Formats: sequence, C-alpha cells, structure tokens
Amino acid sequence: MESRYKPGDKVRILQRNQPGHVRTPIYVRGKTGVIERIVGSFPNPETLAYGHSGLPYKMLYRVNFKQGELWPDYEGAPEDTLEIEIYEHWMAPA
Amino acid sequence: MSEHHHDHEHGHDHGHDHDGKPIQEDALPSLEAQILETSVRELLIEKGIVSAEDIRRAIEAMDSRGESLGAKIVVRAWTDPAFKEKLLTSSDDALREFGINMSPMELCVVENSDDVHNMVVCTLCSCYPRPILGIPPAWYKRRDYRARAVREPRAVLQEFGTVLPDNKQVRVHDSNADLRYLVLPQRPAGTEDWTTSQLEKLVTRDSMIGVSDVRRLDELVG
Amino acid sequence: MRGPQDYGGLDAGPVDPVTHEHVPTHWEKTVDALMMLIFDQRRQLARVDESRRMQESLGEDYHKYPYYERWLQAVSWLMLEKAVFTQEELDAKQAEVRARLEAARDGV
Repeated sequence: MESRYKPGDKVRILQRNQPGHVRTPIYVRGKTGVIERIVGSFPNPETLAYGHSGLPYKMLYRVNFKQGELWPDYEGAPEDTLEIEIYEHWMAPA
Repeated sequence: MSEHHHDHEHGHDHGHDHDGKPIQEDALPSLEAQILETSVRELLIEKGIVSAEDIRRAIEAMDSRGESLGAKIVVRAWTDPAFKEKLLTSSDDALREFGINMSPMELCVVENSDDVHNMVVCTLCSCYPRPILGIPPAWYKRRDYRARAVREPRAVLQEFGTVLPDNKQVRVHDSNADLRYLVLPQRPAGTEDWTTSQLEKLVTRDSMIGVSDVRRLDELVG
Repeated sequence: MRGPQDYGGLDAGPVDPVTHEHVPTHWEKTVDALMMLIFDQRRQLARVDESRRMQESLGEDYHKYPYYERWLQAVSWLMLEKAVFTQEELDAKQAEVRARLEAARDGV
C-alpha cells in the first residue's frame, strides 16, 4: 500500500465531525504536526466497529505535535511533545 | 463526573477464605451486575461458545503477565545491545524470544534518556501492552489520568512523585490505535556489577508506563 | 460531537495513584476473560472496535458504570447483536439467576 506522507512531512489533522466510532480524538483535530513514522496499513476501525471487514485498509502514521500547538496555555517546557497514531484519511498536507 | 462510582474498587485487601469467597464483600459488583455476568457466562457455556476451563485458563494467562515479565524484557535490553536494537526496531522478533505475541497489535518501545522522558496514556479507552503487563492499573483507566496526561503531563507526573527538570523533554504517547507502548526506562548508574535478577527488581510497572523512574537503589536494600 | 470516551484535555481532578490502585477482583477478571475469549483467534465473535462502539453508544451512561460493568454491558449487547443468544433467552436466564443469587444471599 502506498503511503501519501513520509517522515518529516507537515500535516494538518482534519476538523471533521464524523459520526460513529472514530479513533481521532477531538484535541488533535485542526492541529498541525509532523509525521514521525509510517506505522503501516491496518483495517479501518471505523468500519470494524460495525462488524465489517475493515477493508479497504488505511495507512497509519505516528504524528508528532508540539504541546504548545495542542494547548496554547501549555505550562511545561516548550520542547515537550505529544505523539499519536492518525489514519491517512484524517490528515492533509500543511 | 460521576467517577465516584468506582469507589468500590478501592479495596486493597483481597484475601480469600477457605471456600474461595472474597472476604471483602464491598469488592463485589452490584447484584444487577452479578446477575448479568452470571447469565451471560452461563449462556455462553450452554451454547458451547466458551467452557469454564477456557475462562480459568484466560484468567491464569492474565495472572502470568505483569511487572516481572516486563522487567525481564527491560533488563535484557539493558544488558544486551543487540537485543535492545531489535526491541526498538523490530519488536515482534524481540518479543518472540519471550514467547509474547502482540498480534494484531504491534509494540512500540520508547526509550528514556538523559534528555527525554516518555509517558504513555490512552485517552479514548485503556489501550495497554496487555500481553506483557497484564491488566492496566485502575488509575490508567480513569478520567483523571486520561484527561490530564496529554494536557499537563508534568503536573500528572508530579502526582506520581516524578519531578523532572525543565530541560528534560517530556514526550507523551497517546496509545489510541494499533500500537501498544512500553517505556524503556534508564538503567541507573552504579548498577554495572549487578546480576540480572538484581536489576529486574528495579523495574516497576509504573516505570514501564512512564509515570515514574525505576526503583531507587536504596529501596532494594535487604 | 465529542463522544463520552473522548477525555483528552478535559478538566479533571488529581490522579491520586495511591487511592486509585486496585488489584483486580476475581469477578472483574472473569468479565475481562469473557471479553478476551469472544475476541480471540479461535472464536472471533467480535472485534475490540465493536466493543468500543457499544461502550461509546452508552452516552452519559458511559460515565455511570464502573469499568468492568461497562465491559459486561458491551459483551452482553454484542452477543445479542450477533444473535449468539436472544433477548428472550437472556431474560429467562436472568430471572433464574436472580432467584438463585437472592436465595443464596438470604441464606435459603
């Protein structure tokens, strides 16, 4: 499976209001981060949740965010980061 | 939020009498929950989906996992550079040596250093490296930890007694999808001559979740 | 729309890891085992994402249940959805079990 993004690419997590079971928490939606690694292709949890096959598989990435991007009032060190797994259909180039 | 419903979880004394009944009655769930659990279990057994033995074996398997299994992996990584490299880059192969199969998930090992402290949370549920560490701690599943670990990790770490200097980067990992995370804590200085079994005693469950460092050397005296 | 499970970044109290340490009870491990067994390679009766969907569908009740009681609800609903047993079978079984547990409690 082709991966659209590579480590180091800047991506924006989509601000989608998708109903049903999703694994993209609200706090990263609309935020900009950097691809940390390509994890691989996995069955889509959004359809697995309803008893379907999870096909077509979705490419999964680990995305690295500066904490200050996620929380404007972040009180820790400016270098602090958060990493989270995001499926390709939840991101766009930034 | 009504998280106080968890209050019945707080018991620490889980002794059993000779009949195997829990002595501490308040550790039991509500009668309604007992009725539902018994009903579901008996229906599944009657229909041949599971057997009582399957349930017993599943519980035995979860009891065999935990801190000591994780500690063996960590200490092997501390003492065997080739294994550590494999654990960090191709964890499936490394775990096979311990008879551990993460499938369909994958293990992602994140290494602490002088400059970086890693910490794991699952904000959406309670994803945890169960094939290694067993059942997650109660606090890991609660709203307080899940809500705040991503937003104010240093404050949460302080609540575990872990105070980090400002110049040490905190990397939080939200275990939200197909990876499971194990923190590889730092091997303490002064343990160069220690045996494997001595080293394993240093490694705690919390140090592998990343809410604390390993035990202090002076905690092991005697 | 924020699902009830999506806690990341919300206000919350202290973690209090001393109070909120807990050795799982045998009952909790039994519920855990039931969930793991219906997911396992041999049975594949349900996927973990289906269990999450069931729990998230509880809405405000998500917060009401203790952790393993929420899991138990999910197992029960999934087995009904997949017609492993019917609502009639579950109702009849629950009536029988209720009588049995109440009798045991009352020392009959």
